[in-house]
Amino acid sequence: MVTLETILSHTADHLVLVLMTLIISICISMPLAFGSLYNKRFGYVVTKFANLAQAVPSFAVVAIVVPLMGIGFYPAVVAILLRALLPIIKNTYIGLSTVDPSMLDYADGIGLNEWQILRYVRLPNAYPAIFAGIKFAFILINSIAILTAYIGSGGLGELIFQGLVAFNNEKILAGAIPAILIAIAFDIIFTRIEKKLTPHYRK
Amino acid sequence: MASKRLFDRIDSIQLRGVTKKYDDRFAINDVSIDIEGGELVIFIGPSGSGKTTTLRMINRLIEPDSGTILINDQNIMELEPVALRRNIGYVIQSIGLFPHMTIAENIGLVAKLEGWNEKKIKDRVEYLLDFVSLPSDMFMDRYPHQLSGGQQQRVGLARALVMDPPLLLMDEPFGALDPILRKQLQEEFYQIREKLGKTIIFVTHDIEEAFKLGDRIAIMDDAKLVQIGTAEELIFHPANEMVASIVDTSKKFKHLDTLKIKDLISPLECMYVHDGSLDIESAISSMIGKNIEIAVVSNGSFPLGIVKLIDLLRMDDKESKIIDHVVKIPSFSRNKLLSSSLKIMQKDGHSMAFVMTDGKLSGFLFPNDAFSQVIG
Repeated sequence: MVTLETILSHTADHLVLVLMTLIISICISMPLAFGSLYNKRFGYVVTKFANLAQAVPSFAVVAIVVPLMGIGFYPAVVAILLRALLPIIKNTYIGLSTVDPSMLDYADGIGLNEWQILRYVRLPNAYPAIFAGIKFAFILINSIAILTAYIGSGGLGELIFQGLVAFNNEKILAGAIPAILIAIAFDIIFTRIEKKLTPHYRK
Repeated sequence: MASKRLFDRIDSIQLRGVTKKYDDRFAINDVSIDIEGGELVIFIGPSGSGKTTTLRMINRLIEPDSGTILINDQNIMELEPVALRRNIGYVIQSIGLFPHMTIAENIGLVAKLEGWNEKKIKDRVEYLLDFVSLPSDMFMDRYPHQLSGGQQQRVGLARALVMDPPLLLMDEPFGALDPILRKQLQEEFYQIREKLGKTIIFVTHDIEEAFKLGDRIAIMDDAKLVQIGTAEELIFHPANEMVASIVDTSKKFKHLDTLKIKDLISPLECMYVHDGSLDIESAISSMIGKNIEIAVVSNGSFPLGIVKLIDLLRMDDKESKIIDHVVKIPSFSRNKLLSSSLKIMQKDGHSMAFVMTDGKLSGFLFPNDAFSQVIG
């Protein structure tokens, strides 16, 4: 029998892990994307690394962290992080760099400096892509955070793995259902925020 | 942070031996031009002839390899680029409105960066929108995608004027518009140009536009300035074959006396026709929706005359019918000779006329336009 208390405490652990990783990955990805915009070589290295991290199977990334960092909460954060960087970096970079050239030309022509072009032209243009990247990163984070229970991160994955090992359907569902609900709730909340922050200029 | 006002008026712009090379190819090759303050100079030539490059050198979007550009005897390479550009209005063919900003924010952006307060920006934006015939209360809060091409280009002009720059650079501003709308905007631009009182450098590939708007026309070919002069100078003393072929004087001039109205008609589109029983309010919104400046007023089938959007906007009594405000204009049969019709219009000071086919309205005749077609 799984008590409500167990579910809640595992859900709380899971949320802490997921949200913390999301915030860290945003904090790391954004500067890398902005840097890539202004330095082609830097951008090349960043994209190569992020692509590589993305190409490795999720479970392999989780496993590979163990010999390097051991097991526990923080190794799990790093493992998830490696997979979550790419969508945010790539989307932010694409959003910032694929601006209608005539807008950039015009911005230049009326005397906006590099910073003002970033602030008033590139960034607003990139909002939708950035939001899409963060949303996708969250989906990845939420699913890999289940796997990392294997290396001792705790959270809902722990319930699921215990259930799988013991053929206990109740436990499996007690872990899986909250994970699904979190994904749905985040999608709804984030779409709301996105609508609020990006003006209604798109049809 | 406010940038310095570099010049209140333009006395002269001088290009001295300006050259720019990309790899081994000249973009402009040893171009020297003197432009006087208050002049409207048009650069025209085939694509790749260097006309846009020359324009973009004046606000330092492109910097010359050699030669100097002086504005009021100041070398622009010694001026700070951002300050220079904020002292020069810039209008481009693709307009480049920022889609995430409202019309008011688009127009007011540079003023905001210059540290103007909100009230001052709002007043300026309202003034400029009205100046380009877009009622400010209807347009301020719209986004660019909600505007038609012609309306966007008007906003483009308003935006270039926000800092009241003494110099305007216009790079094919009407190039992307359909022909009738282009003529309307040219006509309007021709009228507000006086009020603007600015020095304007204008690039086009349309010789009619050049003849219609320019004080002087500079013809560029293969990175070089071939000839600069007034329309008459170019027509009667073309420097070479190439100029003669651009101004293309030989053919139509001789046949002027045989041309008929139907050769130079601007065809009617039914969106121009409005019923006389319409009240002013709905006529205004219909015309703005269709992005037209003039409407033909009819009583069922017969055209009575025209109303202009600018006049309607100024009317106090918005309830009254447009039929009461009709301006009568002459109408001619399409087979009538052009020269005699033009004489009649000139005598009565009309700037347009109806062209009738079998008793039905089929198009317009614009004398200015007809003339520039004849010489162009």
